[in-house]
Amino acid sequence: MANDILLKIEGLRASVEDKEILKGVDLVIRKGEIHAVMGPNGAGKSTLSAVLAGKPQFTVTAGSIEFLGQDLLAMSPEERAWAGIFLSFQYPVEIPGVTITNFMKTAVNAHRAGKGLEPLKAGDFLKLMREKMAFVQMKPEFAKREVNVGFSGGEKKRNEIFQMAMLDPTLAILDETDSGLDVDALRIVANGVNALHTPEKAAIVITHYQRLLDYIVPDVVHVLKDGKIVKTAGKELVAEIEEKGYDNL
Amino acid sequence: MTEVIFVQDGQLSRSIEVQSGEKAEMILLVLPGVSCDIKLDVRLAGEGSEANIYGAYVCGGQERVKIAVDMHHDLPHCNSRQLFKGIAGGTSKVDFYGKIIVAKDAQRTEAYQENHNILLTDGAKVDTKPQLEIYADDVKCSHGATIGRLNEEEQFYMRSRGITLEDAKVLQMISFIAPVLENIEDEAERELVVAQFESSIRNLAR
Repeated sequence: MANDILLKIEGLRASVEDKEILKGVDLVIRKGEIHAVMGPNGAGKSTLSAVLAGKPQFTVTAGSIEFLGQDLLAMSPEERAWAGIFLSFQYPVEIPGVTITNFMKTAVNAHRAGKGLEPLKAGDFLKLMREKMAFVQMKPEFAKREVNVGFSGGEKKRNEIFQMAMLDPTLAILDETDSGLDVDALRIVANGVNALHTPEKAAIVITHYQRLLDYIVPDVVHVLKDGKIVKTAGKELVAEIEEKGYDNL
Repeated sequence: MTEVIFVQDGQLSRSIEVQSGEKAEMILLVLPGVSCDIKLDVRLAGEGSEANIYGAYVCGGQERVKIAVDMHHDLPHCNSRQLFKGIAGGTSKVDFYGKIIVAKDAQRTEAYQENHNILLTDGAKVDTKPQLEIYADDVKCSHGATIGRLNEEEQFYMRSRGITLEDAKVLQMISFIAPVLENIEDEAERELVVAQFESSIRNLAR
């Protein structure tokens, strides 16, 4: 059904500093689906996530992206966030001097302003913070820390999922969320993602390895190689990749 | 008590002598539109004296901001700290000159000086010249100076969370000068100063 379509990517080509990374990507994601994008290093996985989120350093040279019927490529990164896109970064950025509370307050109220709503009342905001921090098992001191400064690998990824929970996106893109995580942190992160998933939402899980997909089970699996999707199948493809490697697909 | 000075157009010259066991603390604030020539001469003239000098400047037009600080350590066991942070936009020009002079007798001196700058435009210019002149041998002294731009990776990260580019820049700039403003002891005064800087910074972010 056409109105179930959340995201539609057609013939997408993108480059960075005149080097073409994505060489014609087609992808359709429907409500309720979890898609895994797997592939070897340098295949263009992170470029795909950066282009979806609107990173200015990447240039789209051809193709289109529609999100809920809107032309995503015409939107700024913040407009994409307001529309319901969230990118969990592979390498979350440290922002010295800006506390998590201040950062999230600005973000939540920007989303509200984008929808024509008044800023959240201080009490309601703090309640929301506490609830979502507990959700990813963050201690109360976490709110006062500077964004990602001095965070361990696991804390950084939990902070990403915390922000995702705060902003409640329709499409979550998880870029190598498993990298640098021990098993406990991986479980917290995966449980978080699963708990936030509903039939109205979708997720793209970008990963090199099978590990994360043992916890977040995809409906559809794509293999991205040299800037193109070379294979699409169900979750059984994950085991096949693990067995044969990317070279023999 | 910390002296908070909103610097006005023109010259500001100050000589300060700090006596034994005393502490001098001063915060210099330069808001957009102000062109000034600041000369400070601080002398730690008594054993065990201390001086902390802070400064924040924000320029968005054609301002000329000159700051020169001489910090004299004459006697042993004195401490000084200098932290100057500023933002230069438009076609403004900032000159920072800071010198720490540690006399031969001033053993066990601790003296630190930092000057950090953000350039917002290609037309703005910052010159910074930190200097050390040390004649004693048992001292801890350091100085550092940087000139940088607003970090675009930080901006993209914030924008991907729905924070507008303008708000992202304001957050970056406010957090940049916060280490200076947080030295204002009186809470009400500090909040007022932060609000003043925030509104002038917001104008620059547009």
